[in-house]
Amino acid sequence: MNDRKTSVAVIFGGESVEHDVSILTGLQFLEALDQDKYTGLPIYVASDGSWWTGDELLKRSNYPIAKEDRDTLTSVRLSIGQARSTFGPALVASSKGLLGKVKERIIPFDIMVPAIHGSFGEDGVLQGLLEAAGVPYVGCGILASATTINKDFTKNVLSAMGIPVLPHMMAHRPVMGTHLQTREISDRLGTEMHSHKYPFFVKPRQLGSSIGVARVNNEEELTTALLDIFRLDSAAIIEPFVPNLVEYNVAVSRAFGDVRASAIERPVKETEFLDFKAKYLAGSDGSPKLDAAPSEGMASLNRDINPTDLPRDKAALIRTHACDAFLALELAGSVRVDFLGNSETGELWLNEINTIPGSFAYFLWQHAEPEVTYSELAGALIDEGFRKFEGRRRETGADMGGGTIFN
Amino acid sequence: MAEFYKTISGLEDANDAVEIIWLHGWGQDNSSFKALTSLLERRARHISYDLPGFGQTPMLDKGAGSAEYAAALATQISPLGHSRRIIIGHSFGCRVAVQLAANHPGIADCYILIAAAGLQQKRSLVWKIRAGYMRALGKLASLFDRLFGTKFRPAYARRFGSADYKNAGDLRETFVNVVNEDLSAQARQVKEPVMLVFGSEDRETPVALGESYRALMPDATLKVLDGYGHLDILGRGAHQVQNIILSVIKTLDSTSDKGQ
Repeated sequence: MNDRKTSVAVIFGGESVEHDVSILTGLQFLEALDQDKYTGLPIYVASDGSWWTGDELLKRSNYPIAKEDRDTLTSVRLSIGQARSTFGPALVASSKGLLGKVKERIIPFDIMVPAIHGSFGEDGVLQGLLEAAGVPYVGCGILASATTINKDFTKNVLSAMGIPVLPHMMAHRPVMGTHLQTREISDRLGTEMHSHKYPFFVKPRQLGSSIGVARVNNEEELTTALLDIFRLDSAAIIEPFVPNLVEYNVAVSRAFGDVRASAIERPVKETEFLDFKAKYLAGSDGSPKLDAAPSEGMASLNRDINPTDLPRDKAALIRTHACDAFLALELAGSVRVDFLGNSETGELWLNEINTIPGSFAYFLWQHAEPEVTYSELAGALIDEGFRKFEGRRRETGADMGGGTIFN
Repeated sequence: MAEFYKTISGLEDANDAVEIIWLHGWGQDNSSFKALTSLLERRARHISYDLPGFGQTPMLDKGAGSAEYAAALATQISPLGHSRRIIIGHSFGCRVAVQLAANHPGIADCYILIAAAGLQQKRSLVWKIRAGYMRALGKLASLFDRLFGTKFRPAYARRFGSADYKNAGDLRETFVNVVNEDLSAQARQVKEPVMLVFGSEDRETPVALGESYRALMPDATLKVLDGYGHLDILGRGAHQVQNIILSVIKTLDSTSDKGQ
């Protein structure tokens, strides 16, 4: 007798600046799902916030999807507000019937995989929505997502744990109608970051993917950079610029049982820091390879996996810090922890934690010891998602503990 | 026969490692399997050939068919020895693989045929009528050219020829011979296990072809990959194909252990 296949909804796209990268992440995950065990259900969140499903979403050549082309797709929303016993997780698809009457039908699924980078997908908002709707999901929970998306919060927690992070200062977006107080920021730079001088490195507090990041050599450049960032985010982080910069990334997961770190990669770059386009559009002429899959996105960018010039003890330290951070922040899924280093002095700092990394960092697991294929990774993440859901279900109910007032 | 151009990648030691030989499809070359060989680089030693007339390998004789390709390929492959060997083909490469298997039993432990060509497809009546009409038109064009010195036949080829036909160049005779081949007899002679992998959306070598092959071959399994076509099965379909190849390697490992 055939067991019913597990239906896995993968939600990608979104309203953040990382919309396009998320499409690749989502499609690759769907393509990695073992067809013997799972059926995939693509859910695309367009940049206007609408949710869609349909087979057309599976072809890279159909993107970007213009509003006029949406008639081949099915408009859907998450089913929420039903009693838990009615039916399990589901989408509600609506279409216009013959006489213009709206018809609805249910599309059930078993688990959802958030594949949206940045706001909504990676900051706890989607996770909160899914928990409210009683939907099992893959990856970090609400708190873990909300804390790690906030670089200031993350650095404070890690620093308190003794994990090395760069010193930093926060600058907040001026209240509407007021101007950026450059003088005040410069004064604070002088006091809070007193042992450091220009150049500094500025980045949005909550956005990822190198959008808005800039090296600034003087106050004027700082002002420009902050104004750019404040168009995207409400706060910015200012850190000392690290000379002889070298970066190391490692993935961490608990989905295989114990907390485990993957292969370490050193992104190889021409410019001083990865900028957005180079990070994601690494086709031969800079354009993404359509319908290509395993060689697209970050996977094909020049990278040195398990770099031979990384000393053993350094590599071990990177893995230890990454695993400690993973445990302390109670993370889940396949998380990528990014480190910065000064290749001359050998100093190392934890830079940021990405709880929904591009391609779920599958290539780092592919090169790990032991090797984990993307299909195996996907299966493990899904199993972990179900386990976490079961764990949540055992929490309090309204009629426990004698707290009722109305009898 | 000069040596075929090939790229070698993956594991170094050939005695312990599984050796995988890759045979590409028409109009392609050894790089068409790059996604798969890189996903499998820690699991096997990969030898990916440029078949004659493609990439950097010189042509065989004009009009050479899949049998000649297989015979030439056989001279390139070392005897099996201790290592385990899998031959993997895609499309046209599968024709060569089937000929190789039929004429050189034991040259590999098993075969994986992806989107395999080589059998005549069952065609609908409408298709057959149209095909008959097209053939008549082509013959008429040739006749006119012979009688009146017109240039209808090349114009006919430009208008109705497939992309592969038009781009074939010196390989055109081979192409015409090959598309008319039927390898049913050879398929029946394949002694080794064969894993047939077809995409559900493949319009060039539909799943029905896979079913025909499975019926003809003594020891064949058919795996249909949902949502993949003739070409993208090697690209975005690579994770699925990788899983199949890994399970074949696992089976090979366990049977060779039993053999010891």
